[in-house]
Amino acid sequence: MSESTGVIHDIGYRHYDGARLGRGHAVLALTVHSLRGVFGLGRTARAKIIPFLLVGVMMLPAVVSIAIMAVVKQKGLGYTEYAAIMQAVLAIFLASQAPYTVAPDLRFRVLPLYLSRPVTLVDYVGAKLAAMTTAMFLLLAVPLTVLFIGEMLIDLPGDTPTAAYLTSMAGAVCYAVLLACIGVAIASFTPRRGLGVASVIAFYLLTSAVSTVLFATLESMGNDTAAAWAWLINPFFLVDAAVQVGIFGAKPAQSSIYPSGAGTAVAIVIMLALIALSVTALIMRYRKAASR
Amino acid sequence: MNGVIAGISYRALLGRRRIWLLILLPLVLIGLSLLLRLLGVTDERTTVTLMQTFAIGTMLPLLGLIAGTGVIAPEIDDGTIIHLLAKPISRPVIAQTKFLVAASMLALFAAVPTFIAAYLLVNLESGIAYGFALGSFIGGIAYAAVFMLLGVLTRHAVTIGIIYALVWEGVVGNFVPGARKFSIQQWAQSIADQLSSSAFFTTEIKLSFAIPALLIVTIGAVFWAGQRLRSFSLTGDE
Repeated sequence: MSESTGVIHDIGYRHYDGARLGRGHAVLALTVHSLRGVFGLGRTARAKIIPFLLVGVMMLPAVVSIAIMAVVKQKGLGYTEYAAIMQAVLAIFLASQAPYTVAPDLRFRVLPLYLSRPVTLVDYVGAKLAAMTTAMFLLLAVPLTVLFIGEMLIDLPGDTPTAAYLTSMAGAVCYAVLLACIGVAIASFTPRRGLGVASVIAFYLLTSAVSTVLFATLESMGNDTAAAWAWLINPFFLVDAAVQVGIFGAKPAQSSIYPSGAGTAVAIVIMLALIALSVTALIMRYRKAASR
Repeated sequence: MNGVIAGISYRALLGRRRIWLLILLPLVLIGLSLLLRLLGVTDERTTVTLMQTFAIGTMLPLLGLIAGTGVIAPEIDDGTIIHLLAKPISRPVIAQTKFLVAASMLALFAAVPTFIAAYLLVNLESGIAYGFALGSFIGGIAYAAVFMLLGVLTRHAVTIGIIYALVWEGVVGNFVPGARKFSIQQWAQSIADQLSSSAFFTTEIKLSFAIPALLIVTIGAVFWAGQRLRSFSLTGDE
């Protein structure tokens, strides 16, 4: 009988005796980490420049509006039209930051590492979407809230704009959910950050340009009913038409006219369908990425 | 000009997913002009609006961004540029080759579809088709040079390019007339205006400003990109 040579050495690794926090905490940690990353926190100084520059630009109209109210005693910018006016900035923020949340993990193929933990695929996608949604919501809600507080402090004659503010906050939630879902879904199709940025902004520019051209043409033909539908191609006016104008009865943003009658219902259906489509595409994309 | 580098750059641009974006944008332009044709609006004014807002205002900068950064930024991003830089090829030649590749892609994906879209609507009436095709060709060359330079200068080339195209050329240009003088889009439109005699199309920037500006920007950007590549340092990804 030969002597066994295999020995297990105790090289002093310590066991983890603490509480195991489980799946929920893992998902929360991933969400918070992604959310911080969207704003460049915990990344290099150069990664912070662009998000905070865009946050600053988003704040500008609110600050200017408060200054106008304080000096001229006149109402500044409306709450519900804030997102539609600043849509280019929101789109640039989405385009530049959504690829960050998904591209590095895809590029370095670390998805199996995440999935070897209690985090499931749906958890991962949910965490990324939640992070981007929160970021977009903060980007829109903070200037709106600042504007609201400013207006309350200045206390202009007339009724307080609480209803308009609450409507715009409900709108901000819908803007955030729709934009984040579309942005992350488009960005997830390429592991390259640059191409992801270009794809997301291409989506916004295409929809807004097509909507503008179609509206101008149909209006010049005198077909006002069809022209009103052309606004819904742009995702920003879609949310405005569906939620802020449709459900809460606010004034349409800028000079847009939305389709009346069934228009609201159709806008809501399109919005929900876009969200569902994006989430489905994301989950399918990640099923494929995880199986490699 | 180096054939091998050109081949590699073409493959990087045309391969994989980038090509779909390059095809999608011109397709939407041609689709829109077909739709307008079906609706029966084929007047000069609509065509000029479509060309100004869509062909030159939206499609050209986007394609310039995708092609211009696409020839060099991915290589820098994943570090394979080091193989290229280690070869005994002059760095300015690498920059020039990559610029020519990007410019040729823009001619194919921006100038040709622009001509087709305008032709579908108004045939060759008042030189709109020729004018905008030439305008987007020359504007595309300038965009290719500028965005390639951006791709060499920074890792956030696409974002900065978008901010330039959307915020500077779009928003600032609408409010501050002076900003329009420094916009590739406006220069491209001045070129287009030379060939088109349409009454619905006027530009503010004089040709005597636009042509030197285009030349300086294009040559300057390609030259700077070459110089920058000569002393290129690879920094780690964030």
